[in-house]
Amino acid sequence: MSYKVTEEGNVSTIHLDGEIDMDVTEKAKEVIFPVIDSGKEVHLNLSQVQYMDSSGISVLIESHQRALEKSTKVIIKDVSKSVLKVIMMAKLEQILNLE
Amino acid sequence: MSEIAHQDHTEKKAFLVNTSSLKEVRIFCREVFEKLHIQEDLKDELVLAIAEAAQNIVKHAFKNSASPTELMVVQISCENNKLQIAFYDRGTPVDPKKVKHREIDNIKPGGLGTFFIQEIMDAVEFKDGKKPWINHLVLTKQL
Repeated sequence: MSYKVTEEGNVSTIHLDGEIDMDVTEKAKEVIFPVIDSGKEVHLNLSQVQYMDSSGISVLIESHQRALEKSTKVIIKDVSKSVLKVIMMAKLEQILNLE
Repeated sequence: MSEIAHQDHTEKKAFLVNTSSLKEVRIFCREVFEKLHIQEDLKDELVLAIAEAAQNIVKHAFKNSASPTELMVVQISCENNKLQIAFYDRGTPVDPKKVKHREIDNIKPGGLGTFFIQEIMDAVEFKDGKKPWINHLVLTKQL
């Protein structure tokens, strides 16, 4: 998994790239959580994530819940078809902020 | 159910029991499913189910602390359009009664892997592992 972070005003966009499984969840959290903790609105761009398993879904849930605690939000952007299918299988499409 | 007649085929491969192997497990599955001409959407689902089962071996049967040489084996068989995926490992014996996913409406991290496996596969069966194996999990899906 690789990533890129861009900043624009009060929005930080994190572009994740690759496959998100148990092997990279800690790395994903290390990238995402500090940005959430900074209080900025986080846009998580998943257009280049071709695979995500239950560990990756857990990162999305944790990020969402962490953002609520910090009075900000995580918006999941441009989710790929394969990842959207997993999100829907987990019945999270109404819980997570998808755009 | 698929109307395509899938060729009978069996392949198995051993993997080190660690999180780095999960990608290799997925690559192996995709290669086998290519040979079986399984359609793309179903292939993605099957790869997810298999990877989740392999993850459970690393995470639960070995509690993320397998020895560096410890192996798990994944065997994919297709016979008469029935897909069977077998997993063999030497981790802590699994008590099938304790294998359950979290309530899907109770939104929290974790507990989804088993749910995905059950959603995707037709049957999930824990069998007694024959020596040298301790756990023998079998997932089946009619193609």
